[in-house]
Amino acid sequence: MSLLEVTDLTVSFPTADGVVRAVRGVSFGVEAGRTLGIVGESGSGKTVLTQTLLGLTPGAEIGGRALFDGTDLLQLNDTQMRDIRGARIAVIFQDPLTSLHPLYKVGWQISEMIQAHDKSVSKQQAHARAVELLGHVGIPRPERRVDDYPHQFSGGMRQRAMIAMALALSPQMIIADEPTTALDATVQAQIIDLLLRLQQESNTALIMITHDLGVVADIADEVMVMYAGRAAEKAPKRDVFYTPHHPYTKGLLESIPSSSAAGGRLKPIPGSPPSLINLPSGCKFHPRCGYVLDRCLTEEPSLRLVSEDGFHTSACWLPLQAAGLGEQAEELRAETVREGRGEAAEQVYEAEIAEAVGPEGSVAG
Amino acid sequence: MSEPQAGAGTASTPADAAGDDLVRVENMVKYFPVRTGGLVRRTVGHVQAVDDVSLSIPRGKTLGLVGETGSGKSTLARCVAGLIPVTSGRVIFDGRDITNLSRGAMRPVRREVQMIFQDPYSSLNPRRRVGAIIGDPFAIHKTSTGGERKRQVQELMERVGLNPEHYNRFPAEFSGGQRQRIGVARALALKPKLIICDEPVSALDVSIQAQVLNLLADLQRDYNLTYLFIAHDLEVVRHVSDSVAVMYLGRIGESGPRDPVYRSPRHPYTAALLSAAPAADPDTAAARQRIILTGDVPSPIDPPSGCRFHPRCPKAEAVCGQQEPPLEAKAGDVATHLTACHFPVRAGENLAVAGRSEPT
Repeated sequence: MSLLEVTDLTVSFPTADGVVRAVRGVSFGVEAGRTLGIVGESGSGKTVLTQTLLGLTPGAEIGGRALFDGTDLLQLNDTQMRDIRGARIAVIFQDPLTSLHPLYKVGWQISEMIQAHDKSVSKQQAHARAVELLGHVGIPRPERRVDDYPHQFSGGMRQRAMIAMALALSPQMIIADEPTTALDATVQAQIIDLLLRLQQESNTALIMITHDLGVVADIADEVMVMYAGRAAEKAPKRDVFYTPHHPYTKGLLESIPSSSAAGGRLKPIPGSPPSLINLPSGCKFHPRCGYVLDRCLTEEPSLRLVSEDGFHTSACWLPLQAAGLGEQAEELRAETVREGRGEAAEQVYEAEIAEAVGPEGSVAG
Repeated sequence: MSEPQAGAGTASTPADAAGDDLVRVENMVKYFPVRTGGLVRRTVGHVQAVDDVSLSIPRGKTLGLVGETGSGKSTLARCVAGLIPVTSGRVIFDGRDITNLSRGAMRPVRREVQMIFQDPYSSLNPRRRVGAIIGDPFAIHKTSTGGERKRQVQELMERVGLNPEHYNRFPAEFSGGQRQRIGVARALALKPKLIICDEPVSALDVSIQAQVLNLLADLQRDYNLTYLFIAHDLEVVRHVSDSVAVMYLGRIGESGPRDPVYRSPRHPYTAALLSAAPAADPDTAAARQRIILTGDVPSPIDPPSGCRFHPRCPKAEAVCGQQEPPLEAKAGDVATHLTACHFPVRAGENLAVAGRSEPT
């Protein structure tokens, strides 16, 4: 039994323009001491997914189950959720400036949270704990910086303060939503280093949401790639990077500039992500997929096992063995396309090519 | 470095051995005054955004400018584009000195120097139609009107991969990647020689980023464009650049042809940046010795003495805090690979051990 076990979670928002189907049936588990990386582009539903777990999506229609240490998070009322949020599940957001209150001292904000969850802690004790935490996350001279306001901190220090706050009540799980995206590369490295060290010390479960495959390669144990509100592929980290099965995962990896092909042409994924109000039929990736089959236009695939070890799952109709970036896998994919692509899919594919071809006939995709 | 002043409009002195530099920046300094509030506004200091920077970009090539927040890379770009005046130093464009020209004198130059901005959401007026936005350069420079202009705009739209029939749509009807194409079309309108790209793909998703980078590469090839390409993503810069300059706190720490700089960085800051950049490959990530720098970038109002990097540098010694190292070719490097460091990194040297201390 994992610490967190999410089953068939759906989240949709009724709006004037129609229903935004942000998350459409996602299941995953996270165990203590492990890191799950959730990767996806803007609009893939990765942030809504985790905010829903914490009761931060008012007005949404929510379905499914999310068992955290035996309690279904989706069934809690506000008071019950407040006891869990912050204390047992902590969150670190992308932008540390907007998630700290500008008019209160950093130390006050940390001790306020400690006292809110445990009334028996005195003001002095909470303050002392705040100093200790700031020191722990690497803020220099914490006994003095504890009385600074957020604007007196640099971006990296603010993110450290957010992490200190997240750690204040020794949570069992931390959800980090793009925690390093707003930071410079050298500071990003510091923060990732810090998160890894803290996780090892306290055996915390970590959910890392990011669009940066580099961060995932660094920090995750398992990876879930999301596209249009669903998991496209879910697997241990090495499988995702070295033997991706879903064409979207493969496309993402191939579109990153790499040292081996500097100056050459990149291989982008044609088109752009779909609107969550007006989703395509069948597999939601089919209008951008180079391996589109007739079947993909009408039937949406679910996650299924593609490896023998029983961990690598992918939501794609391509044969199970068609995983990886090598020639053999590519041949198998080509063969499947020859057999499974009829006239309808051929039209979709030609539209993609038209999108990817430059005006002078240079193929961009 | 300091040739006799070439008057605007006249042919320049053939200065460089390479000869065909479209842009040359010589000893550029840009300080912003810091003033007190209140009735009597006194200048109490200066933000030393760019401090004595020299660089050049050969025609048809790309210079990648790398640096973190506050390194002065965007200020440098704005000075080159003539959007803000420089404090001292010179900008030579296409053989002409364009430093601090008057608005009128700058006008013809502006046609040849265009910018593409980072944020495709805030750099396009949401209340104007795309055709009007892309047509603006023609209107401002009075090069064409009416049906002629519309035809030109639609040609541009097609060239950057937009549907010309979407001429009458508003920016909100386009995705992020398409909006960035609109920005590219607008920059391309007057057939510029230099395009300054300030983080042109940082706001885009990875799958879309590659589309825009390919487009920029095509345009460069077809129109012999010169790019000054600013980005914080080192892999993107490696992909597009012919040469690279690394800025730290207003100065260039290291510059040179792409491959030597990336393969054997000599400045500890470059080495740290390269080691910190996340690689999308678990084995590389696990094997790599990350150099974790301590602390943050100091304030450019009161930069450290000597080498500006010395408070964070794993190799710093006493001399680094006293003497500013000159930007020069180090022993064993190609002549164009310049480093400003007293103790340049040697091949195979492991800075990670020295750097991985307690954060300060």
